[in-house]
Amino acid sequence: MSDVSVMSTASGCHIFSGCGYPAPSIENFYFRPIFTVGGIAITKPVVLAVLAAAIILVFFYVAFRKPKVVPRGTQNLGELGVLFVRDQILRQQLGRKGDKYLPFIVAIFFFVWIMNLFSLIPLIQFPATSKIAFPAGLAFVVWVTYITIGIRAKGPIGYFKRMAVPEGAPWWILPLLAPVELFSNILVRPFTLAIRLFANMLSGHLLLLVFGLASWYLFSFSIGLLFSVTSFVLTIILTGLEVLITALQAFIFATLTSFYIADALETSH
Amino acid sequence: MNGRGASKGERDPSQPRPPSEGWAYLSYMIGGMALYGFVGWLAARWTGWPVLFPIGMLAGLASAIALIIFRVTRS
Repeated sequence: MSDVSVMSTASGCHIFSGCGYPAPSIENFYFRPIFTVGGIAITKPVVLAVLAAAIILVFFYVAFRKPKVVPRGTQNLGELGVLFVRDQILRQQLGRKGDKYLPFIVAIFFFVWIMNLFSLIPLIQFPATSKIAFPAGLAFVVWVTYITIGIRAKGPIGYFKRMAVPEGAPWWILPLLAPVELFSNILVRPFTLAIRLFANMLSGHLLLLVFGLASWYLFSFSIGLLFSVTSFVLTIILTGLEVLITALQAFIFATLTSFYIADALETSH
Repeated sequence: MNGRGASKGERDPSQPRPPSEGWAYLSYMIGGMALYGFVGWLAARWTGWPVLFPIGMLAGLASAIALIIFRVTRS
């Protein structure tokens, strides 16, 4: 655990006690294995990912165990979530024909969102998505999915032709543009999908660490108190911002996933 | 359903483009620069002319912009 509390109390640093600011670094994103299973070290992010999956499973199981026509309680909340994903994310990209991909997009959205939200939950305070492995794994799943859907819809040749030939370009410029189109559709897409989520969550967590630590480090009964309070207020404001970003990044991830599926299915040029 | 819901040729021009279009443009810019930058870098190493590397990147950027222009003006 390298939370703000642990770090600051362990170092015991204060501004006038002569030691420097214990700046958070990439070290705060590495964890000691809690235990090992068959040579695989289980660390905090792994536990968080499993926890996120468990939370979603339990929540949706409870919500839709005995579905009623007039939803109440948990079912109401579950329907709200599913309908939000359907209307604001999936149908925006795919229209009604995309409804068969709803389970996939709902799972992606809530999994990413819960893993991001761990950034803000007291005592957990670590977004599992700020470890590149999780966004990369998810992006890989999305990548395989949209390529498979595209190949099944158009056949391998038709699909790669669609991926390589840009729309609306005159034929004489194709040799120059087709490689870029193919490269950006096949390789840049999963890469940016993973990096966007990972970098946003990493920087957000780092930002909270910087100000959280600073408000402890600057705390003293002198002018330092003013700096400390400023820092603390910023921590609170940035926490509010993080609430927004956790949801926004999950939304963007799910939106782009459905956009890639829509793009793979598209027939007319 | 607006935007991508309809097939591409039937896009309603009065409707704003979906936000994912913007990410597609970003992916062209990154892809173009990375791909032709890499080609330029290889060419620079083989020929010993370092100037080919930035030329490659610029060519990549130019083709990315061309792709975006074709994509926007088509519909």
